[in-house]
Amino acid sequence: MPDSNAKRQALEQFATFINPQKVRVLKAAGLDIIEAERSGPWVWDVDGAKFLDCFTSAGSFNVGRRNPRVVAAAHAAVDHLDQGNFLLCSQAKAELAAKLAEITPGELSCTMFGSGGGEAIDFAIKLARGSSGRPGIVSAVNGYHGHTGFALSAAGRASFRQPFEPLMPGFVRVPFGDLDALSAAVDEHTAAVLLEPIQGEGGIVMPPPGYLAGVRAACDRAGALLILDEIQTGLGRTGRWWASEHDGVVPDVMAIAKSLGGSLVPISATVFTEELREFLIPNPFIHLSTFGGSDLACAVALEVIAVIEETGLVEHAAAMGERLFAGLHAIAAARPEVITEVRGRGLMAGIQYAEDSLGPRMSYHLARHGVLAIYSGNLPSVMRLMPTLVIEEEEVDFLLAALEEAIEDLVSGAGPEAAAPTRPRRRPVRAAGWAAS
Amino acid sequence: MADWEELAEALADYMISCNSNERLRKMQRDWSRTLHFVCSDNGTTFSMEVERGEILSTPEGHVGIPDIVVSTHSETFCDMFWGDLNPVQKYLRGEITVRGSQEDVMRLDAISAVIWPDA
Repeated sequence: MPDSNAKRQALEQFATFINPQKVRVLKAAGLDIIEAERSGPWVWDVDGAKFLDCFTSAGSFNVGRRNPRVVAAAHAAVDHLDQGNFLLCSQAKAELAAKLAEITPGELSCTMFGSGGGEAIDFAIKLARGSSGRPGIVSAVNGYHGHTGFALSAAGRASFRQPFEPLMPGFVRVPFGDLDALSAAVDEHTAAVLLEPIQGEGGIVMPPPGYLAGVRAACDRAGALLILDEIQTGLGRTGRWWASEHDGVVPDVMAIAKSLGGSLVPISATVFTEELREFLIPNPFIHLSTFGGSDLACAVALEVIAVIEETGLVEHAAAMGERLFAGLHAIAAARPEVITEVRGRGLMAGIQYAEDSLGPRMSYHLARHGVLAIYSGNLPSVMRLMPTLVIEEEEVDFLLAALEEAIEDLVSGAGPEAAAPTRPRRRPVRAAGWAAS
Repeated sequence: MADWEELAEALADYMISCNSNERLRKMQRDWSRTLHFVCSDNGTTFSMEVERGEILSTPEGHVGIPDIVVSTHSETFCDMFWGDLNPVQKYLRGEITVRGSQEDVMRLDAISAVIWPDA
């Protein structure tokens, strides 16, 4: 039942007890959505408005929102499990780790669990430094790996790091896609190179052909590890289980999170080789996480993987991605003044707009047409489209139609109407601008 | 259309409001920027130098190398600096254009929200 009072109250409480500026910005952008019902690729605002979710919490809902099988697995787990004692061995953890060894490539076979992506990256970096005895970490400009300590030190966006400096020493950033720059930065002091196979927050930036293979080779030459952050790109998002498969590259360490929790529970996994596990043999308690890989979360994650496998979701994502990209390219060709490039793979698409302000403005217009889509934080001129992988043809077509209509509204100059002033103007009476503005 | 004299009056009011607001000064203490402004209707230009959250000057013309360039109608600038409109709405209509980082755009809005909470 739509309830505008509930929305007002939620926004007021959020502003009072969490952050008023977040409410102000989202309201102004037409994104003051209080999620109520959620199902498959759709979400409903508490006031009844329906949206095709193309943000999906930055790619966290691959199996759809409240997937019935995953919800049932969660119910069943709650009936007889809880989070479990993190210090003890656990059947649920063991089963999920075995499954991850099966679905990840190459010699990746051992897992450390966490509760979020940043924690997974933190452990990956600890493992790289601990096992190699080297301090250096090379990451990419505009890369995004989370907001925890080591992960933040690797972040490619200065504004995320600067208020908290000094951060961890030993971190170097190079332009993504520039193999010469990366090769020059990797040496005998480098513990690991940390990259996303496709930059997500950075604006759906594709690796140039051969880049990731070249990075792998540079790591091998220097004896450095390759850590791939598949947190947004993994679990079928790009039409393969892992985005790095497109490039035929196998990392030494892979970070997985977001969709592993099936939109229901927090869980992340750092998967690595048996050779790297040697560091943990004499140090079995050196990295601990109270909620990392809780028994409940592991049960849910196992069902998420089963859904992806048994429903052919990876292949489905590839097919829906083809339809999506065909439509996006057609719209881009018809609207070159608005869209200058479309890029991505599978159901990870980036629309490059002609200038920065079009990202926020198109988020506003798309929401008016029933699509929830957010621009890239590190590159506001890019709209990220990362719908659930359970999206069907008619929903892809809905998205494309909404995009065309939103562009129409944009070029016609539509936008939020200024609210009527509720208090006397401050501007002195002699000025004549009030009515005009 | 607002002339420079009126813009200067609005800017002076804005500068006093910002610099006398202790809460804002504390919030913005890590923000040092050079802003350039362009009036799209009459071509008037002006600048703003912000040092650790304090507005040091708002001279006519473009001074220094800008971190952000903001363009809109001169009337909109006046209303904005007097807190008589929400700049985000104008931004989303494409009536205010900003060249610079997204964080700086949000800072500008946060300043307005703090000194003109009813805008």
